[in-house]
Amino acid sequence: MDEDFYWKRHPDRPFATLIRITTTYLHPEADDPESLQRLARREDRPEMRVFKAELRQAITHPEQLPSDELFDHVQYDDGSDEAFLRRLWRELYGDEPPVTESGLHSTP
Amino acid sequence: MVGFDRGFDRDNGAEGDRPAEAGAHGDSTVQDGDPRVAVETRTRGEAYADLRQVVRTGWDRHQRFDTPRSELAMFRAERASPEAMRIIVAADQGGGHGHIRHEGWVTEEASMRRVAYLEDPAQLDPGRRRAGIDGLRPGDRNHLCASRSTRITDPDAFATVLARGSAHPDVRAALSTPYDRDSRPGPVRIPIADLLGSDGHRACTGWQLEPVAGSTRTAVDNRRAWRTAIADGRQPDVPEPRAHPVPTFEGGTIVFAVSHNRQRNGYEIATLFPQSPAHDLTHH
Repeated sequence: MDEDFYWKRHPDRPFATLIRITTTYLHPEADDPESLQRLARREDRPEMRVFKAELRQAITHPEQLPSDELFDHVQYDDGSDEAFLRRLWRELYGDEPPVTESGLHSTP
Repeated sequence: MVGFDRGFDRDNGAEGDRPAEAGAHGDSTVQDGDPRVAVETRTRGEAYADLRQVVRTGWDRHQRFDTPRSELAMFRAERASPEAMRIIVAADQGGGHGHIRHEGWVTEEASMRRVAYLEDPAQLDPGRRRAGIDGLRPGDRNHLCASRSTRITDPDAFATVLARGSAHPDVRAALSTPYDRDSRPGPVRIPIADLLGSDGHRACTGWQLEPVAGSTRTAVDNRRAWRTAIADGRQPDVPEPRAHPVPTFEGGTIVFAVSHNRQRNGYEIATLFPQSPAHDLTHH
């Protein structure tokens, strides 16, 4: 992690919302997955639409994530970015597929 | 001195964090009654962790923070001296855990065991702590820890951080966020020097997982696998986690995490902890 949080350094870059929200709710010192699950069901929160879209993008193209920023911020112990992201998707969106069979993102 | 050689259950179930016990006095301990020689009150584990911290980082465990007593007293004008204690007691009335896991009452040994073995200093039941059960979350949930466990060793310094941090515009802005029962503001970082002065980093210590094959991420993964194997009664197929002192907090920050208050009608500081600068992420 650099001198400040990723979303402060690069507020307009891809995955800034994903990293900010996962850090806020899932960092070990502030772990609160239940609140994030409730928040994920809120359709009145524009940031959660961005979050879901970035989570999909990260699952589909984990190589696009900014180096180790996600791990450095969230400090998960799932073994890989991909494992963490897929577990997160299951916990938040259940059986909803992150990607359709055609490879296109499913609609929210 | 390398590694962390007081492994899980190697003290045969003895309570490692007990603050004082007759059988744990060091070699320099003298019989009671000699008024001129200090009695060693730490356990061997505590003395071991303290010594490693001193040797590796130059930490002075006897150094006391130069407390701004009048400033702390103004934090809550109705509260009398001792100011810092009262601030920490006030924090204890809330739902935050910063003073429980990141303040001076947590020993170096407890901080070291937290990051290495996921033993929660907030878990007061020794058996459950050794089993990695979280001390604050309901149920038997596993304790979580990042790749570092850090603390502000002096309670006056901790109270000062809490008082000054609570008044800092960035923290105020987070706490003043319009309340939403499902969401909370993101964390805030403030330079240690802004809160504690240019020498404030000396009041901070920490332990970090030793990277495995050069990777902190692998070390974190291995720690979970090791913890799970121990809990299942299996022989771990990964190396026992090791930890070493964080070299320095100079140039570091204090992270403030904000969450819901107990009444769930506003936000409060859920925790605060020191974070060393980025270049210390790698093993020295």
